[in-house]
Amino acid sequence: MAIRQGLLALLSQGPRYGYQLRAEFEASTGATWPLNIGQVYTTLSRMERDGLVAPGEQDDQGRVVYTITEAGRAEMERWFGTPVAQSDRPRDELVIKLAMAVTAAADVRPVIQAQRVATMRTLQELTRAKRASVAGPAQRLVLDSMIFQAEAEQRWLDHCEAVLTASPQTQERQT
Amino acid sequence: MSFDPVVRLAGVSRVHGDGPQAVAALREVSLDVAAGELVAVMGPSGSGKSTLLNLAGGLDRPTSGEVVVEGRPLSGLSAGDLAGLRRRHVGYVFQDLNLIPSLTAAENVMLPRELDGVRMGQARREAMAALEEVGLAEVAGRFPEEISGGQRQRVAIARALVGERRLILADEPTGALDTPTGDDVLQLLRARCDAGAAALLVTHEPRYAGWADRVVFLRDGAIADSTLPLESAR
Repeated sequence: MAIRQGLLALLSQGPRYGYQLRAEFEASTGATWPLNIGQVYTTLSRMERDGLVAPGEQDDQGRVVYTITEAGRAEMERWFGTPVAQSDRPRDELVIKLAMAVTAAADVRPVIQAQRVATMRTLQELTRAKRASVAGPAQRLVLDSMIFQAEAEQRWLDHCEAVLTASPQTQERQT
Repeated sequence: MSFDPVVRLAGVSRVHGDGPQAVAALREVSLDVAAGELVAVMGPSGSGKSTLLNLAGGLDRPTSGEVVVEGRPLSGLSAGDLAGLRRRHVGYVFQDLNLIPSLTAAENVMLPRELDGVRMGQARREAMAALEEVGLAEVAGRFPEEISGGQRQRVAIARALVGERRLILADEPTGALDTPTGDDVLQLLRARCDAGAAALLVTHEPRYAGWADRVVFLRDGAIADSTLPLESAR
């Protein structure tokens, strides 16, 4: 999970309180990955155990400032230097659903059409969010990523339809 | 402002050829585009997207059904009246830009207004305003070959917007433009719609269709699906 590396990246900018880390994490990722404060403190205490961050003294309100250690910096740099492996990403339910629909000889076309309308709707909403957004480049790039993903899904759905229309197997089933 | 759609297609069909060779390019398509609305039309090639656009703009006539632009049914118009209505009310943006190479950007934008019989001084002022709107005032005096592809496309859009045209028909207006430049083109169409125009946008790019209020999917000449309009939060 990238929460700890994300927190390290924020701490590399200077010492931070837990609540600050949470706010900055969400600001950077455009609230696409909401963290609760409990997750932040759990992660911080594990990173403290692993020597990646060091806590300061508690202030009079009971808050603790965390500072990144040398080991923490090294971990962050290792993270930035390592590509994300495909196997680390969650499986895509839509892909499985369509594959199963084809395997089970169900009528795939309505599945594709319903998804196409839903994904286009998502794309419209993302585009509107991007137009309305006054956020910085980090959030904008997150929105762009979601737009590209929705776009790719839409193209893939068109592709599925074209392949299935051309496939003699599906044509036999339809007749 | 009236509540009538800027363009209405009512049960429109277009058949090419007749007898056993007849091919239906469009079957019983009904579609309204209201002022302020940007509607994207998507579909595989041969699904009737461009036919729909040509019919909506009066460049082609339906075999059956009616097209109404700004409250005027096109079927009753003479060729001359139809041409006049096209010039005054409809702006076209095509993939191949059709800018005239021997005219400057400003002169290209002025041309449709001059054809309308608007005086040169007025046409120039309107052209400059339209170029300003697309952020190109500074290249007004340059020729098409002296500006970038993205700028040429924006000149073509200025030409489509000049005057009081409220219906904009755009067929793959982002053509071969890169993504940020294509986004600029959509930004302009969007702004024009937000200011009260109606636009029909044919595109095969989902990311550009994402700018629309409503997306219509054509298949085999008929509307297969359409997204519901987004709640108006413009």
